Amino acid sequence: MRRWRHSVDELAARRRQQSECERAHQALSRVTSCFQQLAASLGSTADSSFLRDELEETRTLAHRICCGLSRRLVRLVSLSDSCVEDRQVSERLWVLLLSALEHFLSDLRKASDLIGQFPLTQRCDRNSLINTGCMDGVVGVAAQVALVQVPWLTLEEEPSPDLTCHISGLEDMLTEMQRRVPVAFWAVEATQAAWTEAHGAVDEPDHSLEELMDVEVVHGNKMATCCQPMCCGLGCVG
Amino acid sequence: MTIRNTLRDHGQRYRPRMACLKKAEKVLLEMQDPKTGVKSQPQRLVITTIPHAITGEDILSWLADRFQVDTQEARNVGSMLVALGYIYPLQDHKRLVIKPDASLYRFQTPYFWPTQQWPVEDTDYAIYLAKRNIRKKGILELHEQEQYNRLHKWMNHKWDFIVMQAKEQYRAAKERKKPDRVVFDCQERAYWVVHRPPPGTVSAMDYGLERRIEPNADETKTPDFYERIMIFTQQSIMRPRVKSSVSIGALVKYCATYNNHDPFLSKCLPSNPWLTDDITYWNLNMTNVAIPTKMRVERWTFSFGELLSDPRGRDDFRLFLKKEFSGENLAFWEVCEDLRWGAAVTMREKAEQIYKTFLARGAPRWINIDGKTMEITVNGLKHPHRYVLDAAQTHIYMLMKKDSYGRYLKSPVFKDTVKKAICPEEQKFTDAQLEQNAKNRRPSLSPIVLRQQEQEQRAKMAANAPVDITQLCRFTTPVPHLAVYSGITDSPPAHTSPSLPFLANTTACPSPISVALDSTSASERRVEASEGEEVENPEARAPISRNVSKSRVPLSLRRLLKRGCTPATMFASLSPKYHSAAGTSTRIKPICPDQPSQAPPRRIGNFFQIKVDIPPECRIYPIESEDEDEENRAASRGGVGAKEIICPWESLTPQNEIGQ
Repeated sequence: MRRWRHSVDELAARRRQQSECERAHQALSRVTSCFQQLAASLGSTADSSFLRDELEETRTLAHRICCGLSRRLVRLVSLSDSCVEDRQVSERLWVLLLSALEHFLSDLRKASDLIGQFPLTQRCDRNSLINTGCMDGVVGVAAQVALVQVPWLTLEEEPSPDLTCHISGLEDMLTEMQRRVPVAFWAVEATQAAWTEAHGAVDEPDHSLEELMDVEVVHGNKMATCCQPMCCGLGCVG
Repeated sequence: MTIRNTLRDHGQRYRPRMACLKKAEKVLLEMQDPKTGVKSQPQRLVITTIPHAITGEDILSWLADRFQVDTQEARNVGSMLVALGYIYPLQDHKRLVIKPDASLYRFQTPYFWPTQQWPVEDTDYAIYLAKRNIRKKGILELHEQEQYNRLHKWMNHKWDFIVMQAKEQYRAAKERKKPDRVVFDCQERAYWVVHRPPPGTVSAMDYGLERRIEPNADETKTPDFYERIMIFTQQSIMRPRVKSSVSIGALVKYCATYNNHDPFLSKCLPSNPWLTDDITYWNLNMTNVAIPTKMRVERWTFSFGELLSDPRGRDDFRLFLKKEFSGENLAFWEVCEDLRWGAAVTMREKAEQIYKTFLARGAPRWINIDGKTMEITVNGLKHPHRYVLDAAQTHIYMLMKKDSYGRYLKSPVFKDTVKKAICPEEQKFTDAQLEQNAKNRRPSLSPIVLRQQEQEQRAKMAANAPVDITQLCRFTTPVPHLAVYSGITDSPPAHTSPSLPFLANTTACPSPISVALDSTSASERRVEASEGEEVENPEARAPISRNVSKSRVPLSLRRLLKRGCTPATMFASLSPKYHSAAGTSTRIKPICPDQPSQAPPRRIGNFFQIKVDIPPECRIYPIESEDEDEENRAASRGGVGAKEIICPWESLTPQNEIGQ
């Protein structure tokens, strides 16, 4: 009887942990998406110290989530041997985390290179920023980031590393995780079929954006094309 | 954990051909200067205006001004910048060219620049496609759909992550103001047009093979580095020199001759497949096409080398030579090429076969080369290597070039070919047709299949080749697996030889090269014992043959014995003195019966001994005809008739059978 209750408790605890990890995944996705939006403005005229500060904050938040999530998942995956479904769910979460970390790592590397290439230390540096057409709209993004809630945010406080340390730390974490826990990532299958996201509920029909982008094409057709046929033969490259 | 796709990895690592990227970046930064850079204007959309749009003409005039070049060159540079992804067009975003009018462009944000040190990940592309899917509710372009399905299959394990990230990115993008959203979406779309181009377009990011080291990096000055420089300089000094007037004259002549045949400099009829994706040109110029094109036939008249290097030309030439009954020259040349370029495994057998078929006395396709060359070649065949037949091959090549080639060009065969040659009309494709062609592109046959076909072709040719040998003999058959162009039909005679087991060859396609030593010992034994006794020597592989008489035609041992030659003569043939004499001569030496007999030496050195296995009804060697029957029986090799040559190199094989 006691053993049965014990196993039930274990099961419940594991379920709780898994749902916690899933929520953390969501949060991590949100944070990394915001990070990408911010990083896309690096080096452009929208680049400013405000942007870079936001970038830092986003990065530290992501770091916190990553560390906590990795720790929990390592524990979860190494523990759950009993139930097959549990194991599958844990492995799926594990693979999701690894993919997310890799993706975030590539973004971090890009951001670090860009920050190195476009330092904003002096006023004359602003002359070399690219005129991309972005004004700055990162306020909304920053607000989004602030809204992100992590289950364990309050519990653990660690010193946040700077960018280069963060990158190397992430790399180490990735290799460490892959080494420590042998998970066959090809065994994990997607829970959603292809093309389902297209039919999912979208908050607002976003036709206007497409129309905006298409408007430009309409104008273009009226322009006289003056490329000669030989040029056209090569397609995109003139 | 990501399964890396190194094929389309556009990271800057060791992509030395893309050194232009760093330079393009510098140019782009210069363009940004508010005073001296490109003028920008706001782009007016329905609900808002977006700044920093630039017109094509402004870009081009700035480039022309900056680099002091003309407008055409500025257009090329501008198009390159667009093709690389530093500037993207706002209208007609799929065609990455610069139009010298008021069409609008914008600079790409550095996050999406191609200069970055990191590769273009398929994961990112999958996320982008999923995002597009969400936005356009499943209506993607055809190639995007194909890519989506492919990525869904290959990245199935992280598909949940991809969809989740796509949704989150979509949501994060919505937080931005409308104009910025539009700009970001345009930027992202332009980025993927550059790095995942739709089919039928040429991507500027194709950079060829990866390099192991960065050629632009500074090389450390090690002793090895200086040694290489020294070797290079020494070789430069030793090179032969030509007067510049001569070499330039040659270049000019070459250019003038080939100008019309160059697909870059003049039109390619019917159309250049690389441009129009229509493969008629390749089909018309295939190797074994029945009717060649006029241009191709014209190229054959340029030089003999051109004629030979084109397989169709070679076929035509072969036909002509067949009519002239001098096909053995071309066959010899081809077989020498085969030896030079072929596999090392079969080189030895090939050399033997070539000797038997072309060079030996009384060979079925004997080629006429001068004595000195023959001597060099035959000596070289003692230790056959890839280039042993070079001298003979060159001689034959020059012979053909000076003699047959001229006659070929005046021959009815060639005139007929010229008359029949076709000249295809130029094809004109509309844009829609070009796109259709691009969609219908199919990969060509795999090289493995092509090689198999080639080999089948060659075997068929070897089997069906016209019999143009000088001495007709149906028993001089080629070794089938070597496909030597001996031009002789395969007619395997069945021979059995119970009495001469040592003549039996154990291999299926035997090389009748004997261990002369074996033959020596066996023949010795034969002589000592009485004739006809079986001598068991399973190690011995081949025939014993001696040149008996002074006649030019070689005889077999059996014939020799039948004729009652004395052992003395046979021993004489084995004497070392005789051998050294034989070594110096170019022809197969007849046995000189005057030489004193000696104990058989341990080795038989340079001694060609040919045995001909000819049935009685074949009257080639009329003198020896009475012994044919036995020869038939003597040779019990399956399927190979036989001229067996005890080639000199075989005597250098281990002598362990002597002592038996």
